[in-house]
Amino acid sequence: MTPATDDDLHAYADGQLPEARRPAFEQAIARDPGLAAQVAEVRRQNASLRDVLDGWLAEPVPQRLLDAARPPARGAGWRRLLAPIAASAATLVIGLAGGWYARDAALERAGLPTTFPRQAALTHALYAADANRPVEIWAAEEKRLANWLTRRLGFPVHAPDLNSAGYALVGGRLVAGSERPTALFMYENAAKNRLTLQARKPPPGADDTAFRYAIEDGVGVYYWIDDNCAYALSGTLDRAQLLAIGRMVYAELAEKK
Amino acid sequence: MAAAAIARGLDAAFARIAGTSAMSVDPPLPHPDLVAAIPRLRRYARVLTGDATRADDLVQETLARGWEKRRLWAAGTDLRAWLFTIMHNVFVNQRATNMRDAQNVSLDGDGESGTAWQLPVRAPQQAHVELVEVLRELSRLPREQREVLVLAAVEEMRYEEIAAVLAIPVGTVMSRLSRARDKLRRAVNEPRTDAPAPLKIVR
Repeated sequence: MTPATDDDLHAYADGQLPEARRPAFEQAIARDPGLAAQVAEVRRQNASLRDVLDGWLAEPVPQRLLDAARPPARGAGWRRLLAPIAASAATLVIGLAGGWYARDAALERAGLPTTFPRQAALTHALYAADANRPVEIWAAEEKRLANWLTRRLGFPVHAPDLNSAGYALVGGRLVAGSERPTALFMYENAAKNRLTLQARKPPPGADDTAFRYAIEDGVGVYYWIDDNCAYALSGTLDRAQLLAIGRMVYAELAEKK
Repeated sequence: MAAAAIARGLDAAFARIAGTSAMSVDPPLPHPDLVAAIPRLRRYARVLTGDATRADDLVQETLARGWEKRRLWAAGTDLRAWLFTIMHNVFVNQRATNMRDAQNVSLDGDGESGTAWQLPVRAPQQAHVELVEVLRELSRLPREQREVLVLAAVEEMRYEEIAAVLAIPVGTVMSRLSRARDKLRRAVNEPRTDAPAPLKIVR
């Protein structure tokens, strides 16, 4: 067996080590606490780099860059002049669909962060599709995960048990919210369908709310505020199934208090 | 004419709802994906230039170049990686031009104003000091190491993708990554007390 190389160490920490080399590397980690510590250090460093730089994504996008993203087609000049008129005409004439257009324009200007459910859906889509590293800390270290997230969010969080709905905890991570850090817990069922539960502090003065539902880019989101914490449960399940799991989460969280 | 603009807007909106691109023939670049890529392009541009204004100039130039070269983008492939590649090339070419222009050579030799290295306003408030430290030490890494580190650790690109974006062998990606991580780890663990860093904190 070839010994673990420096390249293996980085690839493993980044979730990029080829499947074939993984068992050997994991054995090497088990034998060598120093190596395990190095992996942990690289992962910690990755997490803090993301903590720092993810915040930049939330900054408003200058109009000149949005303009540069538009096709420079013939007649671009007058089209730009007419765009606001077209947007408002669309809003007036075709209500809902026009609303989407105007809303998208507003979203573009705002940068990445938007409403909580939209952000939850985008975050879900991003990480649920990640085969290698959907989470920062795996379920095997659930206690450490909860402690870490509790420390970073500034209030107690834990992953509710959704096994009775057929969803096992995959793990979790910290994600950059538009205003405050957000805890993400990911679950997976036997069919490899993934759900995420995201939790963060609501804006000051926000009251408890009932379950609300939104569909964002094909991802269903139930979101609510309970006891000074905002939750969003996201997945591609149908609405009724998602709601049933949402109720379970709600009950479980209420029970633990 | 207005109707055409409305139709375009609706196309984009529906494409977004369906999660696909309805704009397949002309223009070939999916506008929603392009817009969605902007925050990441800006972030990487700041890491490259170290200067907030130059970073946005670089993004603007990258988007313009993307539209010019749109026939070269193979639909369905990773638009982000393609844009990062364009940005890298634009940046390298601009630097070559600036190097020839003596007036643009600044004292630190790299023309970095440091205005980009600001802690995001919305950075998590906890562990604030630690994050400031990480950002400052990242800004001090040689650019070759910084770009590889950010692409791997923050953009979570595959090493092969990084090699393609930067037009270097994968082996070079690995050695730069290893050096960057090592240097950053040492710097953060043993804070230096000498020269002030080109860092401003926005509060």
